[in-house]
Amino acid sequence: MIGESSIAGVFFPPLLMLAIGAFLVTLGLRWLLRRLHLYRFVWHAGLFDTALFVVVLWLMSAATTQVGFSGSAIS
Amino acid sequence: MRILHQRAAFIVANTAAILSALYIGLAADLERPYWAVFSTFIVAAPIAGAVRSKAVWRLAGTVIGAAAALLIVPPLVHSPPLLCLAMAGWVALCLGLSLLDRTPRSYVLMLSGYTATIVGLAVVDVPLAIFDTAVARVEEISVGIICGALAHSIFFPRTVAVELNEKTATAIRMCAGWISQTLREPTAELQTMAASRRLTQLLADLSTLHTHIAFDLSDVPRIGKHLLVLRERLMALLPAMTNAQLAIDRLRASGGPNAPLNALLADTVRWTDQIAAAADVLDGGGSAPSRAAPLDAAAGESVRWPLLLEQTATHQVQELIAVLEDCRTLARAIRDGGGPLPPHLETQVSSARRLPLYRDYTLALLSAGAAAVAVVVACILWIWGSWPEGAIAAQFAAIGCSFFATLDRPSKMLTATLYAVLLALPVAAFYQFAVLPRIEGFVALALVLVPILLLFSFLQAIPKLTGAALILAISFFGGLAFQKMYQADFAAFLNINLAEIAGVLIAIAINLVFRTIDPTWNALRLSRAAWRTMDRLTQSGSPTAGTHSQLVDCLSQVAMREELVDAARRDQVRSDTLRGLRVGANLVTLNSVERDCGPTFAAPLEAVRRSIGSIFSAWARQRSTPTEDLIGSSLDTSIRTVTALPPSAARMKALAGLVALRIDLAPHSAFQDLQETTA
Repeated sequence: MIGESSIAGVFFPPLLMLAIGAFLVTLGLRWLLRRLHLYRFVWHAGLFDTALFVVVLWLMSAATTQVGFSGSAIS
Repeated sequence: MRILHQRAAFIVANTAAILSALYIGLAADLERPYWAVFSTFIVAAPIAGAVRSKAVWRLAGTVIGAAAALLIVPPLVHSPPLLCLAMAGWVALCLGLSLLDRTPRSYVLMLSGYTATIVGLAVVDVPLAIFDTAVARVEEISVGIICGALAHSIFFPRTVAVELNEKTATAIRMCAGWISQTLREPTAELQTMAASRRLTQLLADLSTLHTHIAFDLSDVPRIGKHLLVLRERLMALLPAMTNAQLAIDRLRASGGPNAPLNALLADTVRWTDQIAAAADVLDGGGSAPSRAAPLDAAAGESVRWPLLLEQTATHQVQELIAVLEDCRTLARAIRDGGGPLPPHLETQVSSARRLPLYRDYTLALLSAGAAAVAVVVACILWIWGSWPEGAIAAQFAAIGCSFFATLDRPSKMLTATLYAVLLALPVAAFYQFAVLPRIEGFVALALVLVPILLLFSFLQAIPKLTGAALILAISFFGGLAFQKMYQADFAAFLNINLAEIAGVLIAIAINLVFRTIDPTWNALRLSRAAWRTMDRLTQSGSPTAGTHSQLVDCLSQVAMREELVDAARRDQVRSDTLRGLRVGANLVTLNSVERDCGPTFAAPLEAVRRSIGSIFSAWARQRSTPTEDLIGSSLDTSIRTVTALPPSAARMKALAGLVALRIDLAPHSAFQDLQETTA
């Protein structure tokens, strides 16, 4: 099962793991931005958050393919 | 015009969500793409925060339910009766617990109950497939709700803030109107009950909106704690109103209020009328009537009953003004997304937490039992009747019993559901056998579905039709059940849909038997529960705010049902409910000032609490109550102790609370004027 993460014997596609991770990171970023009152400068928060999630996901996937995370198994 | 825009935005977002869910479902080769579609319908709501919170809860509930099916089915699959009992037990457990929660969060538990039946009962013939089925359900539902949450956040989202500001403004306008009415006509119990019904509804709405705030778009200020305090103040308004009402009524009966109080009453009525009529309810309406300290009966001075009454009435009217002012300040802060507050509100806001609601164990037990019985009945038909589609009937029996379990008469809504299913089926059949055979590819499918999607979304956007539209949509897509490969199997179509209808019919029958509750019995039962809570309130040291919130909630439930109680009992229920509200509020006041009033007050107050506790535990057990003189004398002792204290705000509060309790609980025993006793 190359390219899949195994948790307790169940295989998960790496993109799913990354997406969950990216969502959690985005939650943190959104909290931070809100604390700093930066949403005043955002025109459309829903669109902004979606874009933020996509950017974080892309960054994370770029970073993990560089270090070869997607081939490893977490068990 | 604005409403039209909102509905158009909702329809656009919803249609986009559904088409994308359908596309992803078909493209990813999911087992049942229509599950993704109706998940989108289920989470759809006009407010972005509501969609997102429901999406989170639906995902959580589905995962828990699927996991439960994974645990329950494999060990029991070879003994169907045990499996059915285990499933029925799981559904009942989840439903019962979710009914005890009574916040929108309860959806998680309710959903995990019937999801287990959907996943588990579908695979009993092929138990090896259980894991794949569970994963498939989670995938389909995730696709549906993520599409829904995304579309409703991106396409013209409507945030909770707008709705919240409308609701708080309405609440304050109505409360101002009631205060003015209460002060003008102090004997109108009927209007007070009507007010309490409206207020209960409003409080429930605000509570629902509160849960959505944390889930709403990031630019919505997180003012959940402000809202909790506002809710608590609005809740305090009803007891305060009926307290003031009674004190003024008694005062008018014994000679009428004096000139300063009359002036205060007139000022307050004018002020509240101005607020109720103002275009901007939060800022308009002029300044509040001045709240000069009431004439304090100096320590040791002769204390006469009329004087005490007058002080109490004055204090209570001032309390009303203060509460209404607090409500307006908080509503302004909510509108402006925070901002500075007066110190007494600031401390409350920073320590605010959600107060517990009354837990109705009887209703939860009844509903859970009904759901379990319905599942078992469907399973008996399925197993002993050798009916291949019986599993579907069991699933729908579980869904039907869970969905409407919060209502007083679920069978009524279930019957409406049945009609909606019957209405949707011919349309689904038309699509399945006349339209779909002639088309090919996703674009064509989307084009033929768009009219019906627009229609369902349009219906869903109209508040009164939301539920009906949801059921229509679910049964339409359930009936259609398109797979990747088109299969026109009329026999299967009929069998599956007849099983659905049978499931709903079983749910109706069981609910008619178990959940047809006599409204009078229900109101009396809730009242007794309230008296038990009151008894707990009298035990000093018990956390007061939570217990009081449960008491008010429970009595509000009685008030909501008051009109259904039979005429012979209605007056009794009404006056008991209002009295309960007053006594509860006064007990809380006394508990809160106990420490400030010093050690001399502790013993008499304890005696008062004990005698009140004995009254309410007697009410709860339907025994005869202790004599009025007993409670009267313990209250009089306390009143004398308090009047001997040096003047302070706490003393005034304690005095008002005690006098109000005395009016309520010992109306006939004469007060010993203090001239002779203090000597």
